Amino acid sequence: MDRIRALLRPAGDRNLNRLHRRQALVSVFMRHIQLIKITLFCLGYLWMLALPSPRLGRGTYIDENALGPGQVNTRWNWGDVANADRYLEQLEGLRDSNATSEQHAKAIMTEFTKLGIPASTQNYVFTSSTGKLEGTNAYAVLSSPRTSGTEAMVISASRISRVGEGDGTPNLRGVATVLALANFLKRYSLWAKDIVFVVSDNYVDGMQAWLNAYHGEAQSNLQAEELELASGVIWTALNIDYPGHSFSHLGIFHEGINGRLPNQDLLNSFHHISRWTGGVPVLVYDHLESHQSHIPSWIPRSLHQEIRQYNYRSKNVFRHIGYQARGRGSGVHGLFHQFRIDAFTMFGVPANGPHGFHSIGRVVESTLRTTNNLLERLHASFFFYILTTPERFLKIGSFLPSAVLISVAMMFGGLKLWSDSAWIPAATVQLEKEGDGEGSKWIQRSRPVIPVLGMMLSTHILGGILYSVLTTSWFSNNQTVASALLFLPVATLPLCALLVPSQDTRIVAPVSQLLKALNLCFASTVISITTVANFSLAMSLAILLGIPLSISSPSQSLPLRVIKYAAYIGLGLGWIFAGEELRKALWDWEILRVWFAPFVCAVYTPLVLQAGLVCLLPV
Amino acid sequence: MRKLRFLWALCLLPACLSHSFSGETFTEELFIRGLPDGKVASRFEFSTHSHGATPRNPQNLSVEDHSQHYTLFPLALGQILREYAVTELHLTLNAGKWNYDRWGYPDEPDVAAGAALWAWMAEGSAGANPRHSVDARWRDLRNALAGLFCASIASLDEQRTTSPARAFTPFGALPAWPQSGPHAFRHASLPSENVCTENLTPFLKLLPCKSRSGLAHLLNPHRLFDADWHGMGLHVSWRPEDGVQVRLTFQSVFDPLRSGTSRDWSFSSLFDRTVDQACPVAASSLVLVTLPVREPYSIQPEPASNANNRGVFPITEQTVPLDISIHWLNPFQHATIAAQAPLSVRRMLRGAAQSHGTLAVSITNPGSAAVRVVYLETLPWIVHLYLHTLELSVDGIPRADLLEDISYIAPVPHERASTLEAILAIPANSTVSLRVGVGRAFLRYTEHPPDAQRGWELPGAVVVLLDSENKPQKPVGRWVSTNKEAAQRKQAQVLAQAQPRRIYTPALLVDPATPDFSMPYNVIIFTCSLVAFIFGSVFNGLTRRFVVLRASPE
Repeated sequence: MDRIRALLRPAGDRNLNRLHRRQALVSVFMRHIQLIKITLFCLGYLWMLALPSPRLGRGTYIDENALGPGQVNTRWNWGDVANADRYLEQLEGLRDSNATSEQHAKAIMTEFTKLGIPASTQNYVFTSSTGKLEGTNAYAVLSSPRTSGTEAMVISASRISRVGEGDGTPNLRGVATVLALANFLKRYSLWAKDIVFVVSDNYVDGMQAWLNAYHGEAQSNLQAEELELASGVIWTALNIDYPGHSFSHLGIFHEGINGRLPNQDLLNSFHHISRWTGGVPVLVYDHLESHQSHIPSWIPRSLHQEIRQYNYRSKNVFRHIGYQARGRGSGVHGLFHQFRIDAFTMFGVPANGPHGFHSIGRVVESTLRTTNNLLERLHASFFFYILTTPERFLKIGSFLPSAVLISVAMMFGGLKLWSDSAWIPAATVQLEKEGDGEGSKWIQRSRPVIPVLGMMLSTHILGGILYSVLTTSWFSNNQTVASALLFLPVATLPLCALLVPSQDTRIVAPVSQLLKALNLCFASTVISITTVANFSLAMSLAILLGIPLSISSPSQSLPLRVIKYAAYIGLGLGWIFAGEELRKALWDWEILRVWFAPFVCAVYTPLVLQAGLVCLLPV
Repeated sequence: MRKLRFLWALCLLPACLSHSFSGETFTEELFIRGLPDGKVASRFEFSTHSHGATPRNPQNLSVEDHSQHYTLFPLALGQILREYAVTELHLTLNAGKWNYDRWGYPDEPDVAAGAALWAWMAEGSAGANPRHSVDARWRDLRNALAGLFCASIASLDEQRTTSPARAFTPFGALPAWPQSGPHAFRHASLPSENVCTENLTPFLKLLPCKSRSGLAHLLNPHRLFDADWHGMGLHVSWRPEDGVQVRLTFQSVFDPLRSGTSRDWSFSSLFDRTVDQACPVAASSLVLVTLPVREPYSIQPEPASNANNRGVFPITEQTVPLDISIHWLNPFQHATIAAQAPLSVRRMLRGAAQSHGTLAVSITNPGSAAVRVVYLETLPWIVHLYLHTLELSVDGIPRADLLEDISYIAPVPHERASTLEAILAIPANSTVSLRVGVGRAFLRYTEHPPDAQRGWELPGAVVVLLDSENKPQKPVGRWVSTNKEAAQRKQAQVLAQAQPRRIYTPALLVDPATPDFSMPYNVIIFTCSLVAFIFGSVFNGLTRRFVVLRASPE
């Protein structure tokens, strides 16, 4: 007992003991920093691999009690299906007669007007480096009885479906559903919010023009007519995408531009309604769970189910990361999120049956009744999640730490380098005084930060210049040649670093070491800040930057230096040859204001270039 | 049966006598017109005159009031008017957005969404009793009316009360009492008020026949509160030659096309009731129906008289039960509707940021003559205007000259609302757009309403049309007790024309910066704080050497 007491409370000055204890702790920490770093890296990457595991995550639930999904009797019936069929015939007639955007919009407006719903059209023109983009939207505002028109819900359909990211498949049945819904919804007096019907032109650009005009946001390259009709604040929006003849499942597409997600309550309510009111199975995205996946026979049968589930979920997680990291919305709904409107696309997965207008009408009606119940905007911080299946999701706590762990490991590495660069051990000098107890004498040396920061800044400026050239019409017109022409100067300019003379490392810390320290700290900060704003982007950065930035090192031989540098250039600038992908990213930036392209140019590429510089600089 | 009828007549006798001798008259009128988009607007008007009565002089509030004996005049209301010495009072409880563009100018002009209350009161005797001041009486009046009408009028507190100088003019006359100063005006509105049955029941109680007989029998809450638009109003005014008048109105817009394709209507289809009995104390009881022009139709029963394309149906013991129905012979086709009102006003709050935005108003004048208007904006303090950013433009060309006069009362945070009154000239055939930057206040966390994420409702703006030529403002008296309906209607028209026309814009929803009052948010904040604390220690441990230095013994 006494021994334990003595251990817990040793004799002597209490404060001194406390300080000694801390000192011991810190020195243990410092001694094992390399091990800690490696552990954190391993933990982080393993965690990322474990994200699709069925053991992680939990079942979905409805957080907002006001929603009460699926608690109404739907009234959408076969008569309304017949209406939808009639609208479809008209739309098919328009398609077959090769009607222009304007004719389409006018025809749709006329249909709304025939129902007694005030309707209008909106012309818009986008000018971008790839040319002009014109179109006409049609929309109608159904003022709900007895409401002051301060709130609104949107039902929308774009004229082009999201199939193949808007490859031109018309969304005829989606538009017909919107028109038939207008005919149906106006018969009821129970709506507490105005209902706005929007049939936007093209795939995403029509809705961008409409939303900008609705909210009075100016976009320099957009000329759009002011909206003649207006309603109140939009809280929720449903986008209908029904390209096929029939559908077997309804897919949820929810990622918005710049990584924004809608409130999960909306998706969960839709899933509940579709499953129990409409009787339509729900998918995340549009791929089915395959039961025939090949699993090697040496794996015990008890694990087969789990592996299959892992396989399916990893597909969903991959698609989610693909959309979110690139900041690209997975559909027209993605444009709503920037105005704090919760929106998603319900996508009728094309199939030979069994569902059609009857099912989708009932699901939309019931979902509208649910959102109609809202007394306030959806909130409750239900915006951070990864849907692994329609029924299960990962909470923020079960995915966020994976990227943060990597970022912490990088930060540890950077700070260790930073403190190491200030001291070099001087083993030759004898110990004179009782110093830090390690038995060796350390010599302090200066750390010239300004040139290093200048170097970092110049890489970012280089990235900025690269970006401004990318957005010129010259680049978009001759992309293949321009890519090569642009790659060469950007890749060769940092070779100037070879000319930096080496200094006496006993007095001055080597530039390469300082650059690496600051580079790691900066990259780590970027990753950890991005985790909350756009987890998928942070995770991709953690994968692409984590290990590569940590292993950059200068070397003695010139060929080795150049080879290392070339590897970094490949990592940091290789994307310039991804023609189609680059073109899309630039289009997204110019038309939809997606930050991904400028971010890559001005943050990602310079960070990798800095690591390349570390390799080029003298030891 | 005959005995019963005799007893009934005996009971009514005192009422009939009082009707002729006490100097009080009660008249009722129902006016129905079809709207261009196939909807049907109806307006009930029940007015009671107390001839020779005068409002109470607030100077005499400390003196005992003379006793109040009423036969037709509602006692509950009379007591409130006398107790707080109110000269003129208007209260409207409306639900819905009046669509001026499609429905035209309403028969009952005050259609602001939610609850609105405005009154003229004179100042009490100075220094006598603080409860006799205008502001104290205004507060007490709100509370009393809140109790009477079961509405949240009591929450129309100082933060929502304003006194705009130009937009509102008294309907009647304001007596000039020798000691007290000029009358003070108070106005307050609450756009988020929900109007429903609990407000209609006390409304019906103020009527002499309640809802048992006469036109009020048609006020069936199940149908009225299913209408596209409905609103009730209470208007008290005084004229020296006639005395005090109380006008109770109920206006609604029904949509016969909601569930069908025919715009035919009848009392039984609109109200699910018919007029079964005449109100015995009513001096006049009329139904007026605007008859369609240039369209074949049939009406059942035929109107007793037809004036100005309006069918008149007097309600007497001979005409009941009355169920007027109109049938159109041609089916109805929806079409684009040209603007029906003299002006078309749109008002939007722009900007996605939570700290600031832009208030964008556009006023369209489709007419061929320029008009002058008063633009009134009363905003709660959570939104304040940056007046230096105020811009007026026509088709994108700045037109500062259109602004003739402006007065602005700045808000006081947590205390007072702001008032902006501007006189604008709207050129013919053009759209004037007014833009002004607004800032949104950062609220204390206790100031958020229970449904914080909904935001705050801003009352609608009011656009008042000013007469271009200076007509005499003196309206013709309306309170002459007469049964000659034609003369009375003409007077009413003259009077309605003399009142400046007010156009109300819909309310707006504004969301100031709102914390998420939910648990996950708190968890995120706590976690971030913890991580920040740990980071400090780790950073120190990594970047600094840890050395224990022994201080020298001195």
